Amino acid sequence: MTDTLIKMQNVDKFFGDFQALKNINLEVKRGERIVICGPSGSGKSTLIRCINRLEKHNNGHIFIAGKELTDQVKDIDAVRREVGMVFQSFNLFPHMTIVKNLMLAQRLVRKIKKPEAHKTAMHFLERVKIAEQADKYPVQLSGGQQQRVAIARALCMKPEIILFDEPTSALDPEMINEVLEVMTDLAKEGMTMICVTHEMGFARSVADRIIFMDEGEIVEEAVPEEFFDNPKNERTKQFLSQILTH
Amino acid sequence: MEAVDGWWDDYFWGSMIVLQVFFFSLILMVIFGLIGAAAKLSDNVVAQKIAGAYTIIFRGTPEILVILLLYFGSAITLTAIVQIFSPDTKFVDVPPLWAGTIAIALIVGSYATETFRGAFLGVKEGSIEAARALGMSDLQTFIYVRIPEMWRLALPPFGNHMLSLIKDTALISIIGLNETFFVAKQAIGTTGEPFTMYIVVGGIYLAFSSIVTLSVMGMEKFGARTGEGAR
Repeated sequence: MTDTLIKMQNVDKFFGDFQALKNINLEVKRGERIVICGPSGSGKSTLIRCINRLEKHNNGHIFIAGKELTDQVKDIDAVRREVGMVFQSFNLFPHMTIVKNLMLAQRLVRKIKKPEAHKTAMHFLERVKIAEQADKYPVQLSGGQQQRVAIARALCMKPEIILFDEPTSALDPEMINEVLEVMTDLAKEGMTMICVTHEMGFARSVADRIIFMDEGEIVEEAVPEEFFDNPKNERTKQFLSQILTH
Repeated sequence: MEAVDGWWDDYFWGSMIVLQVFFFSLILMVIFGLIGAAAKLSDNVVAQKIAGAYTIIFRGTPEILVILLLYFGSAITLTAIVQIFSPDTKFVDVPPLWAGTIAIALIVGSYATETFRGAFLGVKEGSIEAARALGMSDLQTFIYVRIPEMWRLALPPFGNHMLSLIKDTALISIIGLNETFFVAKQAIGTTGEPFTMYIVVGGIYLAFSSIVTLSVMGMEKFGARTGEGAR
């Protein structure tokens, strides 16, 4: 059993001529909670999307639970089974009820039988406190509820890691807390998480480490107290002053 | 209306032919439309060009001309081939039913190509990413996410395509298919009552198109059960 779940070595990512990620080196241990922040366009989302191969890195190596992520479809599928993802815009399947949203991949990918998949789905809907909505369609739910369903959908696959890509930035302010609460609970239970977010309160209370990115690079990496109270890099200071003063 | 009396059975069998043409051309139309849409959305430039030419030609020429060209074109080709083996042959044709069915399926399929293409593009990229992130294969994503989300978007224009198919069957009478329109022309020849005979044809087509419209409405209602409704 290895303790390092994610290892990125000298990873570069290009979109045409634009370099979105520059020589990224990152290690995430089992049970660690990482928050990534930085200005828009800094490569935060691209970084986590490389981890489950929604984007393909151009140089360097990415290992998930000791397995290298290559072009082999088998490797990609194996990695995606271990890595859950929660998106900014929820991305629930609009033509399926909530409970079916949670069952689909369990049945197709994990090959779990219907009653079992249903049980798991209901279990995780309970956990995000939304079981009573199981037979509704996504559009009938509020944004916060939809995002909690999306988290439950990721949990149903029993992933080792969950990636959060700005999970609260498409939400109305009054719904942000219900989602952050679910995420905080997950963190307390020891789930390994990488979270791109601008919720600095959440970052301070939950994160083991905060990573600050700018222009495709990891500029600073520190524990929360150090990051907020004593940032070393000029760009980090500038960023923090911008988002903490308003 | 007593002029129609001796002709009901002819109209009945004519209607059966309309149904037959509708049924087979509907299947072919969906196939042509899906292939056309897939070609237009593919990365293959040759496939894109062929599909582009297909929609330009079949949407840009009169339907009756396509039917005639396809029927006589295939007949000339077929005759030439048969003459190689038996030189005495004067004329061989593809049965009008099949030539006509294929012709209207190609015509309406060219419209369906655009409908399906637009509907596939209308599927939210996010759903597809979510499916991939959950570990579903491309094929699973296509069957369980892309198709069900696409067909809801395609349904309203698709209903129009079905109506076009039903009405276009009347055009096939020009190459000698004995459907209701053809029956009417024959009946007029003997009874001299054009208005009555054509009214009957109108009634038959209206009945068919009403059934199509009602079933499309039913399907749309089913598609809208998610509460999203028409977008």
